[in-house]
Amino acid sequence: MDIKKILKRNEFYVSIIIVALALLIQIKSGQFFTSNNIMDLVRSLIVPGMMAAGLFMVIASGNIDVSFPYTAMLCMFGITKLFQVIDYQGPVVLGFLLAAVIGAFLGLINGVLAAWLKLPTLIITLGTCAIYLGFTQGVLKSSVISVLPDPLADMAAHTLFTVRSATTGLGSSMPISIVMLIGTLLVVGFIMKYTMLGRGIYAVGGDPVAAERVGFNVSAIRIFVFTFMGLIGGVTGLTQVTLSGMCQINFFDGYEMTIIAAVVLGGASIAGGSGTVFGTFLGVLLMKLISNNLILLGIPTNWSKLMTGVLIIAGVSASAYKAVLSEKRVSGNILKTGEKEAKQ
Amino acid sequence: MKKRLLSILLCTAMVATTLAGCSGSGGSAETSAEANAETDASGGGEEAASDGGYTIATVVKDMSDPWNLRHEEGVKEFAEETGLNCFVKGPSKTDSAEQIQVIENLIEQDIDALCVTPIDPEACKPVLAKAREKGIVVLTHEAEGFDECDFDLEAFNNQEYGEAMMDELAAAMGEEGKYVTMVAFLSSTSHNQWMDAAVAHQKEAYPNMELIPEERIECEDNMDTAYNKAKEIIKKYPDIKGFLGASSYDPPGAAKAIDELGMTGQIYAVGTGVPSVSGPYLESGSNPCVLCWDPALSGKAMLKLAVMILDGEKDQIKTGLDLGIEGYENLNVNGTNISGNAILVIDKDNMADYQF
Repeated sequence: MDIKKILKRNEFYVSIIIVALALLIQIKSGQFFTSNNIMDLVRSLIVPGMMAAGLFMVIASGNIDVSFPYTAMLCMFGITKLFQVIDYQGPVVLGFLLAAVIGAFLGLINGVLAAWLKLPTLIITLGTCAIYLGFTQGVLKSSVISVLPDPLADMAAHTLFTVRSATTGLGSSMPISIVMLIGTLLVVGFIMKYTMLGRGIYAVGGDPVAAERVGFNVSAIRIFVFTFMGLIGGVTGLTQVTLSGMCQINFFDGYEMTIIAAVVLGGASIAGGSGTVFGTFLGVLLMKLISNNLILLGIPTNWSKLMTGVLIIAGVSASAYKAVLSEKRVSGNILKTGEKEAKQ
Repeated sequence: MKKRLLSILLCTAMVATTLAGCSGSGGSAETSAEANAETDASGGGEEAASDGGYTIATVVKDMSDPWNLRHEEGVKEFAEETGLNCFVKGPSKTDSAEQIQVIENLIEQDIDALCVTPIDPEACKPVLAKAREKGIVVLTHEAEGFDECDFDLEAFNNQEYGEAMMDELAAAMGEEGKYVTMVAFLSSTSHNQWMDAAVAHQKEAYPNMELIPEERIECEDNMDTAYNKAKEIIKKYPDIKGFLGASSYDPPGAAKAIDELGMTGQIYAVGTGVPSVSGPYLESGSNPCVLCWDPALSGKAMLKLAVMILDGEKDQIKTGLDLGIEGYENLNVNGTNISGNAILVIDKDNMADYQF
């Protein structure tokens, strides 16, 4: 890839911001490039990273989903409660499969409603998120589960490896679920880049009418992206349980906004049709870098919200401004040709 | 492109505003669940009032929460001891509108007194005023300074609670070293009152302890946030020795960070907590103890006060009154505000006695 092309890419600018921020944190605290801090950062990326990969597909297809944190919440309580009630002792994988199935079903509801009703998906998913929340609170009667069933507790206790910082003596472990994050990113990347389905998602996001004329099944693509998002939502719900060692109803509070912001920060247009899974990952990395290092940066608690807001706006404006420039160029060309035609 | 930017703005604005309403709207679909959640704690049911005793309703914040189930235990015990008709009702989840509806329904029934733990005291004012107009005795709890009631009972004085927390933390830290305070939100009134009192007490009584410049961290009542923030603090201040948490998710969240970073026995997290959540960390020692009050006892104390008022002994409710309930033996009465000394310190040895 030549330099000119790289300079045009959003990922390049996000990477620069990330490196700059990392260096700043290192200078301010001397604690950024320690093995355990990097490990903590990677660990904090697992759940948001998976969610963002799924949401990137939804946004690329020109839709939006705000119900996924509630899908995650419902699956988190649903599976944990089920395991408790039946005193399940088998392999934990079954729990993840079940979470994926339930999540996919909830996503399917979103997708079918979106494909049939043709309503703005923001409204549909706002409605379903209230239903999922209500179900968790009303039917499952859940707010906190502090003692996990054995299979989940075992998974929470097992880690791939542990690193210990030489200077501070602090240790951090790599959870098994990092495998799932890598897997999700690879699958989403593969679908979007190398399959007809992925091309279809971009096409529908760019212009649904044109996509339909070319022969893509717009409804099927919509249903797919929402179902896939639901599936990921379900899996992340259970993943969070194994990371936290407990369930609490407000674990995913505010996730819809941070994840949407991360995807847009990563270069996907909110109107659909563009973006990459790598950019999305960088967006999540930047968001987590900001939210998990404000203390290391030395920003007082009263100022942390302001700083987060400013950094997000700065990041999003950078990519939005680039889009404005390129659009101007295109519309400028159209105008010119239009004038030419008028003259003739 | 302008359109596109506008749509982004609109989207975010809509999501933000509607989400605020989202959590509330979830409740409307659950009126049937609410009916299931209302239980009758008295042995004889509501008709028991016919034997000449009083009918006293207790309204809790959330019927499914272990804390409120404990409250219900106290009410049941009181009903058994006195033979009065006392029962508990409440919303199926912590939802103020639903709680007000429960109170509305109750005052239409023939009750003599109402003991409420309001979710949103301000929002409860009109309905409680209505109850008092009908001659129902109203007592509130966990609503310090509330005045639309006969009395508001608090388990303890906020200042004393903050000081007690600091005493426990100081003991765990050996009265020296760096520490930080944690609250749910910088806007949570009582949390910040406790922490202000605790810090003032430290400056006075424990000069060798030092509050780090970050002073107060927000955990948003979320154990995952408390855990992440605590981890960050430990990284920045590897020599820190203590966390003092106001939210019941602070001590367990910080303790999880301490255990995972391999600092167990060197850093301690003390503060508000309940055994059901802090249990594992009371065991590991990263929570040397947690503080709270027993809702069963505060529930009983409220009922006792209600009976006194109904018996026409309201003038006897003054500072120094002994209700005969542990922690409420020497009440402090100030206008309509009553506080006890019912601070409960739970550690590894007595945690089994408190199932909430």
